[in-house]
Amino acid sequence: MRPADWIVLMLTLSGIILYGIARSRRSRDIEGYFLSNREMPWYIVLLSIMGTQASAITFLSAPGQAYTDGMRFVQYYFGLPLAMVVLCISFVPIYHRLRLFTAYEFLETRFDRKTRILTSLIFLVSRALSTGISIYAPSIILSSLLGWDIYLTNIVMGGLLIVYTVNGGARAVAYTQQMILAVVFAGMFLAAFQAVRLLPDGIGFPEAMRISGHLGRLNVITTGFKDGGFDWTDRYNLLSGTIGGFFLALSYFGTDQSQVGRYLTASSLRESRMGLIMNGLVKVPMQFLILLVGTMVFAFYQFHEAPLHFNRVAEERVKSTSYRDSVELLETRHAMLQAEKRTLVHGLGTSVGASGERMRDSTVEALAVLQREEDALRGRMKGYIKAAGASEANDTNYIFLRFVLDHLPAGLVGLLIAVIFLSAWGSIAAALNSLASSTIVDIHRTFAKPGADDARELRISKVYTFLWGVFCILVAELATDMGSLIEAVNILGSWFYGVMLGIFLVAFYARRVGGHAVFYAALIGEALVILLYLGTDMAWLWLNAIGALAVVAVALLLQKILPARN
Amino acid sequence: MTEESEKPPLFPSWRGWYLLVTGFLLLQILLFTLLTKSCA
Repeated sequence: MRPADWIVLMLTLSGIILYGIARSRRSRDIEGYFLSNREMPWYIVLLSIMGTQASAITFLSAPGQAYTDGMRFVQYYFGLPLAMVVLCISFVPIYHRLRLFTAYEFLETRFDRKTRILTSLIFLVSRALSTGISIYAPSIILSSLLGWDIYLTNIVMGGLLIVYTVNGGARAVAYTQQMILAVVFAGMFLAAFQAVRLLPDGIGFPEAMRISGHLGRLNVITTGFKDGGFDWTDRYNLLSGTIGGFFLALSYFGTDQSQVGRYLTASSLRESRMGLIMNGLVKVPMQFLILLVGTMVFAFYQFHEAPLHFNRVAEERVKSTSYRDSVELLETRHAMLQAEKRTLVHGLGTSVGASGERMRDSTVEALAVLQREEDALRGRMKGYIKAAGASEANDTNYIFLRFVLDHLPAGLVGLLIAVIFLSAWGSIAAALNSLASSTIVDIHRTFAKPGADDARELRISKVYTFLWGVFCILVAELATDMGSLIEAVNILGSWFYGVMLGIFLVAFYARRVGGHAVFYAALIGEALVILLYLGTDMAWLWLNAIGALAVVAVALLLQKILPARN
Repeated sequence: MTEESEKPPLFPSWRGWYLLVTGFLLLQILLFTLLTKSCA
């Protein structure tokens, strides 16, 4: 990083912290601290919902995913818009009518205390672990590419935001998320603009799109059908994205307190609903544009030398082992392949007319063969890195940042590094706020002596926010290899989200089912989900639907078997 | 349920929102399919 980058980075980060402190208003009780006195307009709720869901991993991993696998990841969000409408009709009015602090309070009203505490504990464990990963994931990438100390990076990534989150509560979280999103989108746009600007003369955005498309990176829609049947192990396709994504979105936005806590800050039921529905409308286009940045980076590397492996540290480490000669052979072949591809791709981008069309077909075919060989070389390189003892051989999450560091001008690099920190802060701040609210409302109040005054409860809430911050940083410090990090967070969520959703579905739609039945159904459902994940190759998006449906089915069955005890 | 909880924002009924959201999603899927095919 150059001095200009450091200046931009420091100014942006300190600006957000100061803004967060400035927008903090002194709360008198936990309603002010956790729910901003329920006075937020819908557009702040919308930005807060978006800022909570989009973490640093979103902006690091998605462009890398588009580079390696194409744009089909966007299908993962297809179930979300419909889920928003269902939530607005069923979940949200009840939360508002009961004036809840957390979603889990409703479960005690509907079932019993043990179901509320079980669900709250599932939330606390899963959210704290995934927040730890949300800190670790961008930190390990930054520390690998910039040579920063991982422990210190984790502390900056997860620690500085604690200043305004502890002090200002939900209000500071919401207002900083608004600023953060503005900086993040500006940074991503400038990165994509630079990727296109650095293409050779005569190659612009349309040609870059065409090249990415010919090389299989604009595969936005995939059906998942292969060899005459549906492939249940295929992660992202139209069916898994629409059905699995619907259940995941229903669960995440309806039962995860980090999101419920955002729309409960709204000034009315109408404002909550507007925030959620607008989120449903903007989410798919937004994710499409983030992935498009990755395809522009892919097009850029068709004209510029791309590293065989984007994680520089892993690359250097494997070269210091007995695999050095094999790796150097791969690199030589890779350089030759890239030179061949560059020659072909120049003609492809500018081919027009009937003769151009004929030439294009043969060029595309030749390029596809070279691309397959390049992908195979990258796969072999990963094999060597793994064999040399590295815990992580996947470089998907490194691609975008390596492009930024190697090719963007001074100042813009600092801004993009700030984007990584800020997007992490936006989601971590909301997570800490929700972890603390569930701890005090669902756990502390249940077991503590009654009669604590507002000021004391507020003080304890701030202590919990701080302690959860420290805990999540500790998880990040202890985190080890988890493959593709965006998937690690989503897979972890899928272990729990389906079951949590199942409990809430029973609560809303199976009026005759009581507390015992749903409690044991949740335990059985959780065991089933974990067994399916460990024992089969089923794509994780399906676990959300299976977990939810299993809890509903088992709860209905148990209610029939154990009617007398309910 | 109160009257406020029944009434959706902007549209007279929830059917309007279902149609808008589903229609917008289908339109996006159509555009993405065209993009996938035209650039393949």
